[in-house]
Amino acid sequence: MSNNGSETIPSDSAASQSAIEVRRLHKSFGSLSVLRDVSLSVGEGEVVSVIGPSGSGKSTLARCICRLEKINSGEIYLYGKRTDGSSHSNRDIARLVGMIFQQFNLFPHLSVLDNLTLSPIRILGLSRGDAVENAMALLKRVGLEEKRNARPNELSGGQCQRVAIARALAMNPKIMLFDEPTSALDPELVGEVLDVIAGLADSGMTMMIITHEMMFAKEVSDRVLFMADGNIVEQGHPKKIFSCPEVPRTQLFLQRMLVHFGKELTEGDEKEACRHDA
Amino acid sequence: MTLDFSAIVPYLHMLFAGAKVTIQASLLSVFFGALLGILVGALRVVPVAPVRAIAASYIYIIRGTPLLIQLFLIYFGLPSLGLNLPAFTAGIIGLSINSSGYVGEIVRGGIEAVPKGQWEASKVLGLSYLKTMRFIILPQAIRNMLPAIGNEFVTLIKESSLLSTLAITELTMVGQQVRSVTYASFETFIVVGIIYLVLTSVTSFSLQYVERKWKVS
Ligand SMILES: Nc1ncnc2c1ncn2[C@@H]1O[C@H](COP(=O)(O)OP(=O)(O)O)[C@@H](O)[C@H]1O
Ligand SMILES: [Mg+2]
Repeated sequence: MSNNGSETIPSDSAASQSAIEVRRLHKSFGSLSVLRDVSLSVGEGEVVSVIGPSGSGKSTLARCICRLEKINSGEIYLYGKRTDGSSHSNRDIARLVGMIFQQFNLFPHLSVLDNLTLSPIRILGLSRGDAVENAMALLKRVGLEEKRNARPNELSGGQCQRVAIARALAMNPKIMLFDEPTSALDPELVGEVLDVIAGLADSGMTMMIITHEMMFAKEVSDRVLFMADGNIVEQGHPKKIFSCPEVPRTQLFLQRMLVHFGKELTEGDEKEACRHDA
Repeated sequence: MTLDFSAIVPYLHMLFAGAKVTIQASLLSVFFGALLGILVGALRVVPVAPVRAIAASYIYIIRGTPLLIQLFLIYFGLPSLGLNLPAFTAGIIGLSINSSGYVGEIVRGGIEAVPKGQWEASKVLGLSYLKTMRFIILPQAIRNMLPAIGNEFVTLIKESSLLSTLAITELTMVGQQVRSVTYASFETFIVVGIIYLVLTSVTSFSLQYVERKWKVS
């Protein structure tokens, strides 16, 4: 799926095939229109990165998808189920989609293990034994088994975010959303979190990752969306978006980013991809 | 004038018995007042406007009227509705309700001080509003509020002296009895005052100790 920005509105059958299907989404806060007619479809197992300037509506899009925000108009389908209304419980939504926040939002009064087992026990009805067993497997996956009894305030930022990822996975969602998962971290802690996310991508999880880590987005994603002013301005294969963006807005944004990330983002054989796609 | 405490000595055991009733009344009232207050404080923030308004009015009325009037309404007023409560029961109910108004306001503040991200994380993990409140928000809010609830306990020890108006034999009431026998008014109430001071001091210091322990762990 490396098609360009202006997609036609998908049919109903497409909706039932996609993991995430957003149609003509409008969202405003008071008089501030934040998402203006956003349509988007993410296939099962697809990894989509969302980039764009601050304030362009990236977080709001993710928050609408996991129903943290009520939408003004449009439709959101997760695995063919319409989820933007209030006909589904929080539990139903949580079984479909997990969300990772910039600020981790771990429960500070609970141990790492209890952070992971609370929802599976209270919401999914797992026995404590099963929940702990799952939780330990997930902690192992993010390399934090030995922190099972620690409180969040005893962990580094990177460890907190890895616990948050494990906690979201404990609900066994089909889709994971990441809203700038490494933006609150000290630079030396970014790598360990990105490694976990990359591992998750390899395992076939459907993911939408909002990030400013351009190198990471380029490596891990199947598709990159560029958002500006509440719209998806351009989208496509990461090589194409980073090497030969077509829309001036994207070009300008990436030029500014290159100042930070150096030239390696566009070096190598990517110019080939440009010619190929163009 | 000279103070002569010797006249009171034979009655000290009565004063201590009164102090015991004061402690019982304060403990029961702080317990039920905190329970009711947590409920009221939680209702004060629910996303249902009419419920919020009812809880807000409750707090407003409780805090805006004298405890003495609240006690009178319960003890002398309710019998006209056919509800005759023993004095001690009426007193505990009155103190608890009064305290719940103040605790309710403390709880509201404590709940609102929990970061919004806690609600959001709970929601995306599938927790309902009530489960979020119960497992995530209140445990954090109550921990932040413990010092304020401790103060409420100290306040109740002092306010419980109003129970003497319902003829409950707590410390103040016993003080009046001792005075009427000994005629040593000044001495009696100095002793009564000192006993209150000891009760409130011991309570404050214990609470500070517990608080420090809690912070370390
Ligand atoms: N709860 C809110 N109330 C009012 N305005 C908001 C709210 N959340 C976001 N906004 C506004 O919506 C716009 C888009 O925000 P956001 O989705 O966070 O952008 P991004 O994640 O791309 O930086 C910004 O102008 C922001 O100020
Ligand atoms: Mg954002």
